Amino acid sequence: MTTTPEPDLSMPAQAVLVEPPDSSTPEAPTLQDPHKKRSQFADIWRRFRRNKLAMGGMVVVAIMVVLAILQPLISPFDPYDQNLLNTLQPPDADHWFGTDILGRDLFSGMLYGLKLALIVGVSTMLGSMIIGTTLGAIAGYRGRFSDGLIMRTTDIFLAFPALIGAILIVRTFGSGVAPVAIALIVLGWPTAARLMRGQMLSLRESEYVEAARSIGASDTRIVMRHILPNAIQPVFIYSFTSIGVAVVAMASLAYLGVGVPPDTPEWGRLINQGIEQVQVPGKDFLWMFPSGAICLTTLSFAFVADGLRDALDPKLR
Amino acid sequence: MGKFVIRRLAQAIMVVIAATLLLFIGLFVLGDPFASTGDKVVPPETQEILREKFGLDQSLPMQYLTYLGNLFTGDLGIDFNQRREVSSMIGDALPATARLALVAIIIDVFIGVVAGIVAAIFRYSFWDVLVTILTTLAIGIPTFVIGIWLRQTVSGVWIFPGVPRSFTEVVPWYQEVLLPAFTLAIVDAAFIARLMRGSMLEVLRTDYIRTARAKGLGERTVILKHAFRNSIIPVVTYVGISIGILMGGALITETLFQYNGVGFLLVKSIGQNNNPVIMAIVTFAVLIYVLLSMVVDILYAYLDPRIRLS
Amino acid sequence: MRNKAVWLRAAAGLSVAALVLSACSQKENTGTGGNEGGEEQAKPSSGWEETPDIEIQEGKQGGTFRLGITEPTAIDPYNAQESEGILVSQQLFTGLIKVDPDGEPLPGVADKWENNEDCTEWTFDLKTGTKFHNGEEVNAEAFKRGWERVAAKKSASEVAYHLAGIEGFDQMQAGTAKALSGVDASDPAKLVVKLTEPNCEFFLRTNHPVYSPVPTTAGDPATNTAFVESPIGNGPFMMDGKWEHDRGIKLKRFDDYGAGDPAYLDTVEITITANGNQDEYAGFENGTFDWARMPVPVLSQARSTYLDQDKWITRNTNGMNYLLVMVTKKPTDSVEARKAISMAINRDEIINSIFQGSQTPATSFVPPVFEDAFQADVCDACEFNLDEAKKLAEEAGLTEGTALTMQFNVDAGHDEWMAAVKDQLETNLGLKISMTSVPFPDLLDNERQPDAAGLYRSAWGADYPTPENFLTPLLSTTAIGAGPTEPATGDNKGRYSNTKFDDLLAEAKSNPDEAERTRLYQEAEKIAIGDDLALIPLWNRTQHRLVNSEKFINARMDFNENPDLSVISVK
Repeated sequence: MTTTPEPDLSMPAQAVLVEPPDSSTPEAPTLQDPHKKRSQFADIWRRFRRNKLAMGGMVVVAIMVVLAILQPLISPFDPYDQNLLNTLQPPDADHWFGTDILGRDLFSGMLYGLKLALIVGVSTMLGSMIIGTTLGAIAGYRGRFSDGLIMRTTDIFLAFPALIGAILIVRTFGSGVAPVAIALIVLGWPTAARLMRGQMLSLRESEYVEAARSIGASDTRIVMRHILPNAIQPVFIYSFTSIGVAVVAMASLAYLGVGVPPDTPEWGRLINQGIEQVQVPGKDFLWMFPSGAICLTTLSFAFVADGLRDALDPKLR
Repeated sequence: MGKFVIRRLAQAIMVVIAATLLLFIGLFVLGDPFASTGDKVVPPETQEILREKFGLDQSLPMQYLTYLGNLFTGDLGIDFNQRREVSSMIGDALPATARLALVAIIIDVFIGVVAGIVAAIFRYSFWDVLVTILTTLAIGIPTFVIGIWLRQTVSGVWIFPGVPRSFTEVVPWYQEVLLPAFTLAIVDAAFIARLMRGSMLEVLRTDYIRTARAKGLGERTVILKHAFRNSIIPVVTYVGISIGILMGGALITETLFQYNGVGFLLVKSIGQNNNPVIMAIVTFAVLIYVLLSMVVDILYAYLDPRIRLS
Repeated sequence: MRNKAVWLRAAAGLSVAALVLSACSQKENTGTGGNEGGEEQAKPSSGWEETPDIEIQEGKQGGTFRLGITEPTAIDPYNAQESEGILVSQQLFTGLIKVDPDGEPLPGVADKWENNEDCTEWTFDLKTGTKFHNGEEVNAEAFKRGWERVAAKKSASEVAYHLAGIEGFDQMQAGTAKALSGVDASDPAKLVVKLTEPNCEFFLRTNHPVYSPVPTTAGDPATNTAFVESPIGNGPFMMDGKWEHDRGIKLKRFDDYGAGDPAYLDTVEITITANGNQDEYAGFENGTFDWARMPVPVLSQARSTYLDQDKWITRNTNGMNYLLVMVTKKPTDSVEARKAISMAINRDEIINSIFQGSQTPATSFVPPVFEDAFQADVCDACEFNLDEAKKLAEEAGLTEGTALTMQFNVDAGHDEWMAAVKDQLETNLGLKISMTSVPFPDLLDNERQPDAAGLYRSAWGADYPTPENFLTPLLSTTAIGAGPTEPATGDNKGRYSNTKFDDLLAEAKSNPDEAERTRLYQEAEKIAIGDDLALIPLWNRTQHRLVNSEKFINARMDFNENPDLSVISVK
């Protein structure tokens, strides 16, 4: 009964209840020839570049990251600076995106919101990936008890309607950016874990793993050197989409009134405030700009993920 | 096989207990539902009386056990706010959500399948490009943005009922459900379209389709009888899953359109600290999810011996 | 292909560079782009004036009046709480007295009432022959029954506290008594009420729906849910069908109404909207509703449209918006500090920008709706005066960088103006303010704590039409309800304590002369607000409504801010 995490473009909903199909067959040779590795990357990169949408997405993501990092320097106004004499103005030369109900510059606010979105998005992604892949790998590789335990734990988290979980967590830790990230990580790691586990399950039975085991390679070595590099692929691809998903989730929570403190110019909050003005003609820009920003972010990350998947897919080589 | 089922069942029960316990503790930590809310000031003596009435003066473990016990007899209690039977509140809201999910699925399957087929058949044509662009946009735009935009532009136009309207004007359910269903359906339709398109493309490349064509069968027969039937399989799998997601996941959409379903009820109850309702709905959702998950797992184990032997 | 990528990157890089260069130093946000259409903004306004009182004319029977509300908690008087519930409850039931829109008492079921010398006993003479909607007789026993139904511990009424002070109430709440010993209904035409302590304004309380009479069919609200869902009362309207939760309530005129003139309207259609004010306003505009509240953002456009069409109502009502101050804790523990803060807040600026001029800055704590007791300038520190503020701040030791905390409740629309107040205080006094917003119950909880400090957003609406209900519950020593190391249990969470103030109020409570009581309230307010500024008043509670005056006459707001349905009539 997950609500906010929207299925990623490549694997709609399958990650939720069903193990993802074995879309990437493991490569037969496992000798890590350094030359081969380098040209492998060049190969992948070349294929990626051919995909216009993916490149476009990457450029946008790059621009966003730069903007977010430079935000304190390039922000035309202090996003919190109020000007009660100049509220709710449509976009003009001074205020490129107009002003909000407290007269704060919306463009500066959106820049700040971009920074927040990326921070939360990336930290959520990192957090859920790290926790999820570790647990998923253990579950998939060890099987039996650990598998059951970990899978049932993911069940508990997945069964909870996401909203309740998020609210409980945010209320416990207080409002702010960190609790939101924590809530999203807590809600997001099960998907990553399942992905990883699925990969593990199929890969560990493969022949070369058996071969490695037969020559006495330890479990850790097998996992780290042989299985992981292959298993990590779909997870890696998914992680890009999950950034977009996290941004949408954070905005949805803010729309429902849960999350960052109220006067923070976070995109979801801005939309919420914009909706309040919706019956006043000519104020649609207040919610349209942040909505557009969310779309752009989600799409860009999704395109990059799509491009990565195509570039890494051995079938297309 | 039997051992696996039993094991799985036991695990399922543990999950339900763990989840409801977590929720219970979480709600308790969240605070006192009888403290003053909104503009309402509730004097402490009254709070004492309320707590006693609703059994909150007992210890936490006692409360949880009482709750479980009542659950088994189907007694969901009365809500904190209006003191109505929770079962009747949910009973009123559930059909609405079910209708919403049903209509949403009908819409998104129809649109998605047709769009996917068209895009696959007329590959690289204008239609294909159009479908690709539209589906991409639909997936990228968050549901609540789509909902807001629809609500602003389309309410009251044509078959979409105007908001607000007097409650004495009876609007048939199939009209009331349209806008929220559309909002929910758009994203799913996009997925289905892509899925359908990809699946269809693959099927169209296969040998037996080539054989069918070589046999001289008309293109229409080829597509409708052979290609369609085979390519629809992943869509069916997906739809099976999305029913569950839709049922529980309509929270934001229902809230957006003030559609009186279970999702909206849950959101309102959270705001009111109306614990009995929250407990009932979440328990329900957890049960459904766990059941479905268990069934799927058992099915997979049946089909793939490796898993059940692990 | 390669060039394209290079171009893309170059373009991206250039745009970033442009941004950096153009905005290297952050600009000052001091435009005055002028607000919407540049109407009456920018100059300090004193709020929108009240629209003149409506003359009540003779009406004619017929018609349906439609309005929208949000789902009430209860419409049964035993638990009716917020204005929506009270709206319905007051049309279904009539108590001992009624009040007119200005809060002046009028006869209800009781046509006379008398107190004994020390105001510990009240006798209400009831009209005879009035009936409930089901034909039952309305007599003293019906009132006693209703009050006991509320006071019973088993009923767990959230509004039972209004009956406190009646002999036997405490025992009923504790579950040790089954009847109110202080209520004597032996004479069906006379209700005699004994109080545990003198209260010369007790009769005013009986206006609250909780004091309604109920028929014998009412029973126990915990078990007889049919009555709770569809109450049978003695008021000008009766239920037409049952309460359709989250959909609507229909009322129809009770032709045998005995406690006053029968209503004119045939039916009232109350639609339950989920979105509150936004839906009501949209509904008014599309002709669905004949009465509507409005969300703040549309107030000024609605006013400019509808004021000239005579469809607009503005009234100062029974409430006050203020900042609760912790007067025993630094940095607000001195009068100078509190006055400095109050004078550093430019109420007009906030009202004009965030409330579009729709509120009236407060100059007192007892609101102007109490025409006799209102003192227009008792709060001298409510006027914006930057120089004086800085002076007092220095005196008080409120130097630059002094830390101050502010808190308010989330999701109630206070975010913007609280942020504005914070900004003003930081800019004008250089204070370092940390502001948080929390759910309402947490807010109240935090306010109660013995170590609470700083400012808390508050509002108060009196339950009864008397200034006493502003002063005693919020500022008297007994209303703290705890020692300095325990959480406050009463509503005086700021912990203001002044014996002279307390004495004045005690005197008023036992003084049967209304004019004398008014004078005492005024003196008390002078001390608590004028001298000590125990609370910082911000703006009066002002309410605006839209009404379909094309179709209806006598459409006015009653004392509880609801449409006065019993006098509204079609033209």
